[in-house]
Amino acid sequence: MVNCLNFLSLRRILAAVFALGLLGLMGCATQPERPALRLTGDPIIDGNAHRAAAPVQDHVLWDYRIAASALHAGQPEEAKLHLDTALPLIGGILANDADAKKARSLFSAESTKTFIGEPYERVMAYYYRGLLYWRDSQPDNARACYRSAQLIDSDAETAEYKCDYVLLDYLDGFVSAKLSADGSDAFARAQANAKQLKLPAYDPKANVLIFAEYGTGPRKYGGGEYGEQLKFFVKNSTAHAATLSVNGQTVSLPAYDDLNFQATTRGGRVMDYILGGKAVFKRTTNTVGDVALVGAFIAANNGSRDGDRAALALGAIGLIGKIASAATTPRADIRMWDNLPQRLSFAALRLAPGDYPAILEFQDAAGKTLRGLTQTITLHVDPADRDTVIFLSELKR
Amino acid sequence: MNNSLRLLALASVAAPALFLAGCATGVESPSGVPLTEMKADERGFVAGTGVESQDLVTVSDKMARGVLAIPEIANAKQTPRIVLESVVNETRFPISKDIFLTRIRTQLNEKAMGRVRFLDREMMKTLERERDLKRNGQVTASADPSVVEFRGADYFLTGKLQGLTTKTSKGTSDYILYSFRLTDARTSEIIWESSAEIKKQGLEDAAYR
Repeated sequence: MVNCLNFLSLRRILAAVFALGLLGLMGCATQPERPALRLTGDPIIDGNAHRAAAPVQDHVLWDYRIAASALHAGQPEEAKLHLDTALPLIGGILANDADAKKARSLFSAESTKTFIGEPYERVMAYYYRGLLYWRDSQPDNARACYRSAQLIDSDAETAEYKCDYVLLDYLDGFVSAKLSADGSDAFARAQANAKQLKLPAYDPKANVLIFAEYGTGPRKYGGGEYGEQLKFFVKNSTAHAATLSVNGQTVSLPAYDDLNFQATTRGGRVMDYILGGKAVFKRTTNTVGDVALVGAFIAANNGSRDGDRAALALGAIGLIGKIASAATTPRADIRMWDNLPQRLSFAALRLAPGDYPAILEFQDAAGKTLRGLTQTITLHVDPADRDTVIFLSELKR
Repeated sequence: MNNSLRLLALASVAAPALFLAGCATGVESPSGVPLTEMKADERGFVAGTGVESQDLVTVSDKMARGVLAIPEIANAKQTPRIVLESVVNETRFPISKDIFLTRIRTQLNEKAMGRVRFLDREMMKTLERERDLKRNGQVTASADPSVVEFRGADYFLTGKLQGLTTKTSKGTSDYILYSFRLTDARTSEIIWESSAEIKKQGLEDAAYR
């Protein structure tokens, strides 16, 4: 009789554990419902709608995307608005952050942290803001952006990939040269990173600054057994170079920087070790769960009362192991700035104020013009007392 | 039997505990965080290693006191006229550069009691247009508009922000040197110069490293 009661209690306890486990799993899935978005096809309007509906942790991600779309659409003020929202966050010290703490915990995904992006994404936020500062006749603030951007790249794992953006140093020096300061150190660093590619000497009197970009940037995905490894899908884009024909001259716009290269030469992150640990925990608890459940099955088939009890105990352990394993989320954060280019270029030239018809052409690796990508544009050169910044992109959205 | 029961009891406690620890992904601060009003010279809970409001207050207060104390201003027989020139930013932090000069000017205007005057060169285009309207008789004038009354500067006040940055696995450290100077417009002599330096450092959460 007593044994029977104990057996019933055991069953109740086991049922309670199971129910709690289920409740836990259900509880983990709660997210506030978000209203369905009405998309218009305009990347800026839609981006803003997405941003408004997104959790606060994703705001910077949308700010990045909208800023790039705005630049592509020739809306610098919109781009500025979003970059100015993002930069104070990515430029600060993110410590004692509850979301980050959560992202490091076993049962929350890395993507619960506030998105600030991988280094190449943060670099691009500064790079874009820099050209917008320059456009607003604040070249020293532009230079500040290039310096901050290069600093972001200073903690790559391998020394040769630290601070190796060519354009960031080149533009840093160029601003200094234009402000009658010495830009030679920055130029030397840029030339060292450019390797065989010979950089044009600074022309402080150049008043038209062309920032060009082409190709499609890196894409993130989760590798490893549980998607715990942040990996990048990089495709060598067709456009390898560009030229701008304007006012009887052909301006070369070679690829000085490659974001695919930058994304894949960073080395490991501290977060990768944390995610690796989560993956090990997930695997171990799963194995423990499997072993305990198999043991429970064998014990249950033993036919004795003791065997039943052992089966229940092992079953409970197995269940807990399986639930803990299922609840552990080692997935790497693969939220990404998805409208970045692959290649970055720059050229500076002198043009008198006025409007100039121009043709932008892109070339493949063999130097052959990619006809479908050619753009006919008009360059508007501002009055001579300020620099004119022109942003050219192969990307449309 | 007792062992099995204990095991199960432990399991029944461990399972919810695990989920309580893991299931913190719901809404953060559901009641929100109340608005916190800070003093401008107070360090907030949102901070970086760059130029912040408390630095602005500290630096501009120091500079305003410095300008007022120099003999050329304190003992001037005629009220000196000062023009503000844009600050040069050589740091890695994009900043609203003229905010320093604006605060120094407002501090001086508040504390100098008329001992210095600032010339509003930002308004020159508007002022010239107004003067031309007066000269053309399109608007009334309280004085002869053909007489040049725009004052020239006795001094130029400007500054420079320079920085040094170190970033290692232990964190990021930024040193910023704020230097301001007052230059005699006639002789090009620097009659006053002062600086303030601020160093900050911090280490980001491992999730962002």
